[in-house]
Amino acid sequence: MSNANPLLAILSGLWVSTRHFLRNLSRFARGRQDFAIHFPEQRLVQPPALRGMPVLVQMDNGKERCVACGLCEWACPTTCITIYPAETTDEVERYPQIFDIDMARCMFCGLCEEACPEEAIVMSRQIEIASYSRRGSLWHKQDLLVPVNQLKTRTDYLRRNYDR
Amino acid sequence: MTADNNGEKPAAPALPPLLRKVIDRLGAIVLEHKSAQGDDRINVARENILEAARMLRDDPELAFDLLLDVTAIDYLGQPDDFETNLQVWDQNRASMRRQPQRRHELVLPPRGPNPRFAVVYHLTSTAHLHVLRVKCRVPEDDPTIPSVTSLWPGANWLERETYDMYGIRFEGHPDLRRIYLYEEFVGHPLRKDYAKHGEQPIQEYVGPGAKEPRRPH
Amino acid sequence: MSDPEQKNPAAPTNGSNARAMEELHTPPMRLQFGPSHPATHGTVKITLDLEGEQVVWSEVEVGYLHRGFEKECETGYYYQNIPYTDRLNYSSPILNNVGYCMAVEKLFGIVTPPRCDYLRVIGGELSRLADHMLCIGASAMELAAFTPMLYLIEGRELMLDLVDALCGARVTTNFVRIGGVSADMPEGFREFAIERIDKALTLVEDANKLLTNNPVFRRRMEGTGYLSPKDLVAWGVTGPMLRAGGVPYDIRRVHPYLVYGDLDFEVPVGEHSDNFDRYLVRMAEIPQSRSMIVQCFDKLPGGPVNADDPRVRWPAKGRVFNRMEELIDQFKLVTEGGMAPVGEVYHAVEAANGELGFYIVSDGTGKPWKCRCRAPSFSNMSPLSKMITGGQLADVVPTFGMINMIGGECDR
Repeated sequence: MSNANPLLAILSGLWVSTRHFLRNLSRFARGRQDFAIHFPEQRLVQPPALRGMPVLVQMDNGKERCVACGLCEWACPTTCITIYPAETTDEVERYPQIFDIDMARCMFCGLCEEACPEEAIVMSRQIEIASYSRRGSLWHKQDLLVPVNQLKTRTDYLRRNYDR
Repeated sequence: MTADNNGEKPAAPALPPLLRKVIDRLGAIVLEHKSAQGDDRINVARENILEAARMLRDDPELAFDLLLDVTAIDYLGQPDDFETNLQVWDQNRASMRRQPQRRHELVLPPRGPNPRFAVVYHLTSTAHLHVLRVKCRVPEDDPTIPSVTSLWPGANWLERETYDMYGIRFEGHPDLRRIYLYEEFVGHPLRKDYAKHGEQPIQEYVGPGAKEPRRPH
Repeated sequence: MSDPEQKNPAAPTNGSNARAMEELHTPPMRLQFGPSHPATHGTVKITLDLEGEQVVWSEVEVGYLHRGFEKECETGYYYQNIPYTDRLNYSSPILNNVGYCMAVEKLFGIVTPPRCDYLRVIGGELSRLADHMLCIGASAMELAAFTPMLYLIEGRELMLDLVDALCGARVTTNFVRIGGVSADMPEGFREFAIERIDKALTLVEDANKLLTNNPVFRRRMEGTGYLSPKDLVAWGVTGPMLRAGGVPYDIRRVHPYLVYGDLDFEVPVGEHSDNFDRYLVRMAEIPQSRSMIVQCFDKLPGGPVNADDPRVRWPAKGRVFNRMEELIDQFKLVTEGGMAPVGEVYHAVEAANGELGFYIVSDGTGKPWKCRCRAPSFSNMSPLSKMITGGQLADVVPTFGMINMIGGECDR
């Protein structure tokens, strides 16, 4: 291949890019729309394994499933989770009085989800967490609570790997 | 030396062939050797490192022509290199456990009697494909060791990095400067007594044009 | 004649235009190339002294991306350091995960189940494909060939989609665990993967047609950045750069780890040890990776993906929720990190740029006493000054591109 005629090589290269151009043009003429994702209106189809931001699971009675055991706080490599536990008269006896996640430090690694013994903190499909200030990237418990039925994709994915 | 070889003879069946060859060639230079977890290691004195390295590289049976890595270990407060004296270490270890309130602080035990640093070389051979680890203990009050840059030019940056991170000076190195950090940096960050959250102010630039604003405000 | 001699004693006198050189000679021009230069993909500063277009002296300065990876590892548990290894070579993160986790497994003496090994190879080879495509595409773009960059980045996107489906993130994968992997591969992944890889390989083939015979590309790549095989070994260069020099040193072949011993693959070697051979070796490794992935899918056994080793692998979630012993085990492993045996290990894997080794010293606690990363980019970068000195200024760019220096790995 080293002895190929340079002119032929350039022409074959031109043919490659022309072929791409023509193919895209014909697809465009046939109505193909997926050249770009118009982001806020259209979304990419993400796989079920997607790790978005960690959120707290809200049970049907409106309370969090978390019992403030603090394992996610231990497991977090960047120490972005802060928990202040408190006692409650409910069946679970403990709940997090304060549960903050500093999303500016969170790196979406998913170790909190893996450490959690209650499936109370899971990685949601939410990835748009930009805010105008640094304080805005500190998420409190009320912001983090997500009803359990909205997290079905993730919990199904996790349960598939329960037995491994 | 024959005394050493005689001392090694009882352990001969367990000795891997590479270590046997290395000990045969290097003789008394090898202070200590160990084969654990699939890795072969020899310890040499730092005065002999250049001689040992040259023999390891030039011997056709060994032919360690590829220097993989040069780094150091800081055994601050540790009695020995984690292989003897375990009871002492177990006592010391309790204070080093990470507490939840201060997760990134280390409570260091008192210093041990052995030299504080160890410089570690990883060698391999592209012909025989064996890997050897060479270790030299270096004391804290005189952290110097001969440079192997003359044998493997690739040691240049690796030794600079070790100097940068541990403050071990390599004698005979052509250009021993910091490589990752800036020249004004105080201390050596991978030493165990350097706090992880220790911050240093960036030195103000005093060169030409220092008074002029860098960018319009 | 004596006046210019005194002004410029070092002026070259050979050649036909010696007199003109003597009279027109000026002192070398100092050129700062970088730290963030559009023609380099990586943050590195190269200081060059130029005589006209010729480089007469050069100095390479790295460290602009130093983050203290090794210091950070010393303060984290073994499992907490896995996400940090994603950030070493961020164009092939799963390979770093595999390297770190295999070093820790060697320390613990864990044997991983076969399905886990196959999944690691699949993920690692996907990463290697993405890395090679990015390297070739970016290097071509720096030589002003923009179209192959578009094709190869599209191919890389397809690979990253696969990585995304496998572990839930495109770049910050955190896929491999100590003694296992984070999750089994999704259903229908085989067909999805092979279709995507074949699609990407057609794009690579297009880029191949655009680049390999292109006279401009060849003239800039052939013969530049030469380093003799003996020098390559002496400078500690590994990976495609070393293989382009004719030394068939590939860890997958010489020290087979995971299931590479069972797979049928070739180790492409070059002969000229110049930039063009480095490019060709990378190009030849792409179909090899595809073949390895297909073989892995064919041979993929069933069974668990995690080692049943209660010292380090967290228990399965289904049991944690329902049983007391596993719950206690989970608490102990998270808060103490799994007590490693005392010892020190070095384990190397073949990353996309060369030998990626992790040297871990354990003191018997759940945290490594020292975690050293032997980064291939760092050792590959060190002879750059030797390779570019004496050449033309324009040769700096392809040489640097074919080293494929990744800042996160080189500077750690």
